[in-house]
Amino acid sequence: MNEPSPNRSLARLCLMVLFPLLSILAIVLWLSDGSTEGTFIRFTNSLLTSFTLFSFMLLLTLFVYGDARKRPIAPLVGMLMSVLLGLGLTLFFLAQGELLMEDNGSVRAQALSNTIRFGTTVIGLSLAVVVVGGTLFASLMNGPRQTIHFEEE
Amino acid sequence: MEEATQAFVFFWLAGLFVVFGTMIGFFSKVHWQRRSGMVLLVLGLLSLMATPWTLSFSPSSSFGHLLGSLVGPAVLLGVGFYLITFSGNVPVGRLSKGDRTTGVVMVMFGVLWLEAMHWWILTPMYPGEVNRYWLIFWPTMLLGVLAISTGAFAVIGLVGDGREREQRLMLLVACFSSLLLLLGAMLDGPNVAHEEFASEVLLAAADIFGAMVGAAFAILLFAIVLAIYEAQQPAPKRLDPPTATQLEQASQIIAHNLGGVTEDE
Repeated sequence: MNEPSPNRSLARLCLMVLFPLLSILAIVLWLSDGSTEGTFIRFTNSLLTSFTLFSFMLLLTLFVYGDARKRPIAPLVGMLMSVLLGLGLTLFFLAQGELLMEDNGSVRAQALSNTIRFGTTVIGLSLAVVVVGGTLFASLMNGPRQTIHFEEE
Repeated sequence: MEEATQAFVFFWLAGLFVVFGTMIGFFSKVHWQRRSGMVLLVLGLLSLMATPWTLSFSPSSSFGHLLGSLVGPAVLLGVGFYLITFSGNVPVGRLSKGDRTTGVVMVMFGVLWLEAMHWWILTPMYPGEVNRYWLIFWPTMLLGVLAISTGAFAVIGLVGDGREREQRLMLLVACFSSLLLLLGAMLDGPNVAHEEFASEVLLAAADIFGAMVGAAFAILLFAIVLAIYEAQQPAPKRLDPPTATQLEQASQIIAHNLGGVTEDE
């Protein structure tokens, strides 16, 4: 029997995740009369905020790495630079007039609003994981017992 | 206390407590550190949920209000799924059939509660209008359920054997969330109009894709930083080849352990 290649499986997985999502979004877009106002600004703000906060969390994990590698300083400095780069890019783009500003009066207010909105997105996705994971595990653990039959030597 | 200081202490410091508490509480190997992490997490969450009272002047308190509004359904879903899962085929500490029934009822109430927050009068209202973070949370959660359930459907198909029941269930969950998204975009709720919901779905999708791309960039950069550092490390010192004396000694030990005879004998 031919085993599917890992690349093919990955492509199939991506297609299975993206196709239904994009289809529903296309229908919703059609229902909302094709208005995509503000989506690009939200995408960019979310990207910059996510990059900065994820880099910060990965920076924290480098302390564990540093402990295992007898406290090397180089990766810590590298990641710190990336956090500062993300933060700098966010503030730079926010300061460019109306480029990334939404309903907030100042750059600081917009940056703080981005952070809170990122928190809300994380909570929404976490609860989605609880719902799907919980349903899946509840079904797996309550289904009929599956026994593995080994061939006799 | 000044308003800015109050906002820092009750909101941002509490948020940092939640982040650090989660990291220490779930990933530390030392017992007392795990416990301290959990205490930090609970303190941070309580402070955030109290912001409608402690920071009523700040728009950020809407986030605390949302957290407080979600505690009920989140606990019902979490505990409900736990009870159903551990009353099934688990070898140790199996819960009773009654616990399973309780779990099913809790999950149903949790789902109904969330639905009632959009389709009935339970919508989080703060201050005097629909909480703006609820308008971000609800479409994000529905889109997340849709993407994760279709992903789980594909993964089960790839690695599972005889798991058609689970695949059908994932498909059902995906259809349910799609239906809710489409109904929300077509019909007005008591507090949220369908045009507003449709617009928020598109903005939530932009948020999710942005967060995913940003996280992917950060992880890629992290990998590059580590790869560059590791590539610069000097190669480990190679040992000199064994001398004739060492080889002779080793052969004697091996011969002794195998019960054979050496050339000398």
